[in-house]
Amino acid sequence: MRQWLNRVARRARALVHGSALDRDVDAEMRLHVELEAEEIARTQGLTPEEARRQALVAFGGVERYKEAHRDARGVRWIGELAQDVRYAVRGLLHAPAFSLSAVVVLALGIGASTAVFSAVDAVLLTHLPYPHDERLVRIYEQNSPTNRWTLSVADFQAIEARAHSLSAVGAAQQRDVAVSARHGPEQMRAGYATSGFFRALGVQPTLGRSIEPRDDRPGAPRVALVSQAFAVRTFGGATSAVGQSILVDGVAHAIVGVLPRGVSELAGMHADVWPVLQLEPPRFRGPFGLFVVGRMVEGMTLAATQRELAAISVALLKTWPMPDHTARLTPHLLREAILGNAGHTLGLLVAAVGLVLLIAVANVASLMLVRATGRWREVVLRTVLGATRGRLVRLLVTESVVLAVAGAVAGIAIGAFGLEVLKVTGPNMPRLDGAHLDARAVAFAVVVALLAGIIVGAYPVALLLGRDAAPALREGDRTASAGRRTHAIRGAFVVAEFALALPVLAGAALLLNSFVRLQRVDPGFDPTRLVAVHVALPSGRYRADSTISTYWARALPLVRAVPGVVDAGIGEALPPADWWNTDNFDLIDRPVSPGSAQPTSPWMKVGRGYFAALGIPLVAGRLFTPVDTGAQPVVAVSRAWAEHYYPDGTAIGRKLIEGGCTTCPPVTVVAVVGDVKYQGLSGSADAVYAPVTEAWPRALNLFVRTAGPPARAVDRVRSALRSVDPDIPLRDVVPMEDHVYETLAQPRHLTTLLGGFAIAAVALAAVGIFGMLSYTVSARRREIGVRMALGASHGAVIGMIVRRGMAHAVAGAVLGLVVALLGTRFLASVLFDVGATDPVTLVAVTVLLLGVAFVACWLPARHAAQIDPVEAIRVE
Amino acid sequence: MADRADLLQGTLDLLILKTLRLGPLHGWGISKRIRQLSSDVLEVGQGSLYPALYRLEDKGWIRAEWGVSPEGRRAKFYTLTAAGKKQFAAERSQWRLFSGAVEQVLGAT
Repeated sequence: MRQWLNRVARRARALVHGSALDRDVDAEMRLHVELEAEEIARTQGLTPEEARRQALVAFGGVERYKEAHRDARGVRWIGELAQDVRYAVRGLLHAPAFSLSAVVVLALGIGASTAVFSAVDAVLLTHLPYPHDERLVRIYEQNSPTNRWTLSVADFQAIEARAHSLSAVGAAQQRDVAVSARHGPEQMRAGYATSGFFRALGVQPTLGRSIEPRDDRPGAPRVALVSQAFAVRTFGGATSAVGQSILVDGVAHAIVGVLPRGVSELAGMHADVWPVLQLEPPRFRGPFGLFVVGRMVEGMTLAATQRELAAISVALLKTWPMPDHTARLTPHLLREAILGNAGHTLGLLVAAVGLVLLIAVANVASLMLVRATGRWREVVLRTVLGATRGRLVRLLVTESVVLAVAGAVAGIAIGAFGLEVLKVTGPNMPRLDGAHLDARAVAFAVVVALLAGIIVGAYPVALLLGRDAAPALREGDRTASAGRRTHAIRGAFVVAEFALALPVLAGAALLLNSFVRLQRVDPGFDPTRLVAVHVALPSGRYRADSTISTYWARALPLVRAVPGVVDAGIGEALPPADWWNTDNFDLIDRPVSPGSAQPTSPWMKVGRGYFAALGIPLVAGRLFTPVDTGAQPVVAVSRAWAEHYYPDGTAIGRKLIEGGCTTCPPVTVVAVVGDVKYQGLSGSADAVYAPVTEAWPRALNLFVRTAGPPARAVDRVRSALRSVDPDIPLRDVVPMEDHVYETLAQPRHLTTLLGGFAIAAVALAAVGIFGMLSYTVSARRREIGVRMALGASHGAVIGMIVRRGMAHAVAGAVLGLVVALLGTRFLASVLFDVGATDPVTLVAVTVLLLGVAFVACWLPARHAAQIDPVEAIRVE
Repeated sequence: MADRADLLQGTLDLLILKTLRLGPLHGWGISKRIRQLSSDVLEVGQGSLYPALYRLEDKGWIRAEWGVSPEGRRAKFYTLTAAGKKQFAAERSQWRLFSGAVEQVLGAT
């Protein structure tokens, strides 16, 4: 036992001190040679040099003894591994073209998939930063699987009072506010929230206290939490912020706590300031504008919570009747509510990048196969000379693993870069900003690389294990059946590459097609030389309607008078992708049956000059006049709305009931105006406009059309507005052309990304077929030479090679079409105006892919036609 | 060289153990001692000697230590361990049995 321990210790030492021990051996050998030389010199009377020479000759190579020594040390396998790696690296360096292309291809595949993995990891796999996030729910009013909206005060207070399945529930509302602290007013986002909001999320301030239930009561002193960043920016630090007072929209709030560092977003709501939300007892069922989150009690299921909330909804209808009886309070896991369709978008990316990775691996596997076949003779010779199979397998596997590891290292670098690109240009999705290439991503890259290495090395190894050496040695390599089998497998790889490339290309083409159509969509207004200025009047001084209307009555004429300003108008919405409010309505002459869901439409207040400033034409009826007051409410509708509800063209004069308010006077349609997109360029153009006469919104967009480039006029517009009230923060001015462009960012990014993957996929497939045919040409050089000697024309030779390649490409493309037909339906939800199996697109991409394949086939074929028959026949 | 005999497989270990029984020696010393003791009949090639030494060391029969040789040089000295002594005794009796048997066969008429 002790001896055994000694031996283990010795071997361990040998491993650790390997080179030191080698030096020991060196010293010992040297001594031996010296002593031997002295002896020879003494006994035979030779010169020292001659004696030394003889001693050396007698001794033989020193390296051999070192090797023997290492063997005796029992660390041979590790030495051999190092040797294998050295050998593999040397071998790969001897074939730089092969190695470089294999590493680059692998690195691209691994890098792209690692970047996408990091994004998926950050967005989908990581938990929300709240304790037990699986118990957090967001509650909606919902009347169909796709139609859900925020809650009213009545809803929220009913849940607060009656829901036993929730241990905490809170409401929040995001508003643009003007915050005055030490400096002048600053426009920022505030998240008004009840105490339950923080309790439900489990978020505690790092300093001070949280908002408590006693703060929620209307009339209680108003308090606020602020972000660390705000505290530092405004008060120089968290400690000095607590206890300070800030004006939020003119109302004083005491800062009672500072949120933990880095928290600028809660439950998907971004804000720097979190004032308490004090809810008055409701007078109506609506309006519906509360963001409500709850925490389920431990052990509660979503289904049970849903049942309880549904019961509460039904009970609520008795106290607060609602025209739509079908809507229910419905909980959704907060995680899913925040992620929305990010999962879908990421799924698309994962699918695309996965296909590209597979093509890359198939490509390298095919390269590796050729290399292995080319080395068949070497392998056979080694076998004959006594190398064991295990040793040879190890050699081949080492080579592919070395390739894969090199690919992984380069891939991780590419992945880190790719992730940054993805963050900047990628589809906008929650929490992607937090993505970084962490240990998990590196582990992912390594696992992908090793799997790739195994796949890449598998067939050569199988070839090696499955054959006897001797017959192969006799047959010679080129004509060996192994060569033929290799051809077949390479062909299969090429078919697979094309089958995988086509769906990626088809997906990208569909997105591109959809994007081009989206770009051609008319937003309904002319965005050139049009700017929007967001003006939010602070609620402190602008509480009464009259103050707001007075402000605009003074401001608008001043703005219109600015030199260079052609027109100016105000409105709530910022087309093409931002509208304030969707309202339900009931047509008096075509009412829906009682209790069922009423139709809805974007519903926005517009002030004087809105239609003119945006260039929205009047189609029928009359525009609003100052006499349109609340007593006889009127609206204008869009042409799409009119055609939707009154296809016979008789919308003017129709009456409708707005928002289920049966006691309010009905609203009359007095105008049909041109279509404008408010729900995104791909959305419908339904719209209802109401003149702003009462209940003035404090935040409005001022649209200004200028005669020349807007920049100079905009400065004068700003000073005109300041002359009316200098204390109103004016956020950046948005040129509407930029704004329209911005709304296309998401589809543009997705299209660009998928386009990049598609280019990679097609390029890899082309390289694959090119490589296969080049090899075919070199392998069949002699045969081609004979054919040409027998009179085959250049054209016939080219035809023969191209036909062989194209057969594979076509087979792959057909398979790929089947895959694409099955797969592109997952794109349907992001496509606009294009079917997921749009035949024109599919045919076009097939033709494109085969065209690329043809070029890739033609190049080696032309090379084949240039073979000199005499030379080719003489060579072998 | 013709009058020098090649070593039989397995006998080298025995010879090394024997020479080391007489005292610690370095590698070259071992080969010289074997030559002397066999009256120049047995020549231990260095190619066999050192691997054998490492093997024996690994088995724990001999121990190696750096020291200074009588010639005043730094050298690695090999010493027989207790296990090596036991091994030597076992191998020697085995060898005697074997060589006696071979002699007996050859001497038979």
